[in-house]
Amino acid sequence: MSAVQKTCLVVDDSKMIRRVASRILRDLKFEPLEAPDGSKAMEMCKVSMPDAILLDWNMPIMDGLSFLKALRKEPNGDTPIVVFCTAERDVMKITEALEAGANEYVMKPFDSDILESKFSEAGLV
Amino acid sequence: MSAVLSLEPSYYDALKRLTLELAGITLGDDHTFLVETRLSALARKEGFENLSDMIDQLFSRGQTRLAIQIVSALLERATQFFSDRSGFEILGDKLLPTLHPLYRGGTLRILCYGCSSGQEVYSVAILASRMKDVFPDMNIEIIGVDYPSLALERAKEGRFTHFEVQRGLPIRHLVDYFTRDGEDWVVNESLRAMVSFADHNLLSDPNSLGTYQIVMFRGRLSQYSPAAVVRIMRHLSALTSANGYLMLGSQDTIGKLNYGFEKKPIALGCYVKPAEIKIEAVIEAAPVRSAPPVEYKDMYRA
Repeated sequence: MSAVQKTCLVVDDSKMIRRVASRILRDLKFEPLEAPDGSKAMEMCKVSMPDAILLDWNMPIMDGLSFLKALRKEPNGDTPIVVFCTAERDVMKITEALEAGANEYVMKPFDSDILESKFSEAGLV
Repeated sequence: MSAVLSLEPSYYDALKRLTLELAGITLGDDHTFLVETRLSALARKEGFENLSDMIDQLFSRGQTRLAIQIVSALLERATQFFSDRSGFEILGDKLLPTLHPLYRGGTLRILCYGCSSGQEVYSVAILASRMKDVFPDMNIEIIGVDYPSLALERAKEGRFTHFEVQRGLPIRHLVDYFTRDGEDWVVNESLRAMVSFADHNLLSDPNSLGTYQIVMFRGRLSQYSPAAVVRIMRHLSALTSANGYLMLGSQDTIGKLNYGFEKKPIALGCYVKPAEIKIEAVIEAAPVRSAPPVEYKDMYRA
């Protein structure tokens, strides 16, 4: 039933990561959408807010943290559940992401169990 | 696709029988895979050249300590933080508030029976820590026991991998209660001070462990043989104090006998042990060994 299927925007400059994440998200019954950077992701969010966003940190043009801060200022920008998905493991970075409005945080590398667990904690699966 | 097996075929069945003898648990059909993957690491740690040498030594010399290590490694469970979340909701929303008036000014003890690598123990400690403001006048101690194993050693160390801390553990808890150490994450002292661990054969006499207001043995009963279930349930009853609670998995029930608990659960898998209740007669089941038998020497030849 595509009418009730939740959408998840995967924002990552790595095509391979986007592909892997999208496949896992399909298994979790999401409709995955993809964007290669924060700027493109913002354009897509302004058209239609996804239910969830899986967000890389280090990307060209607009990084994940800048995107998140901008997103949360948008009308309805507080509605998507945002899960950071990044190689950054420093506690300071994690804290910074949470303070900027991230709901959860995945440290790369990840597997399907981790994504399912994180989306479950965020109440999405 | 068939895996390359490094042991003589008779050894696999012998290890399966040994596990049933010592722990009351029947390994599944994938036990050859378990043997290969889990025991190879143990063989290396124990200083053997390879897995085959370790198993040869076990069955030719009948070493008790090695037998326990091997069975423990075979039984190691993949656990995760806050596994079966409904159990933690019962703990936080029902059991702790109910027990608080009885243990105000004192210490409430929680036992995780069969704690494996410790995720459940530390999850309970996190819950208790976060409820300190609600129950500032009640100290909570959490004790985890299991067969001596590499998993239990890791639990004692409070060290978890990058993957383990991302399964079931909300990121805010990771930041609040763990410190990164290279590729691993280590439990902070504030949490570690609330917990302790001990080696214990789950089928052996539990009297030395004392009694607890909450005993957790979640999602494990179905693994055990019927004889071992009777024995385990008796132990769980002995470990649970009067007016205390037994938490089994949400799919588990205590079965036909009450073992001193109210038969009707107060929540899924959660049973109270009233101060006064008639314990129904337990039909003597086939004995399950509580200590390693000497017969496992040469067992593989049978």
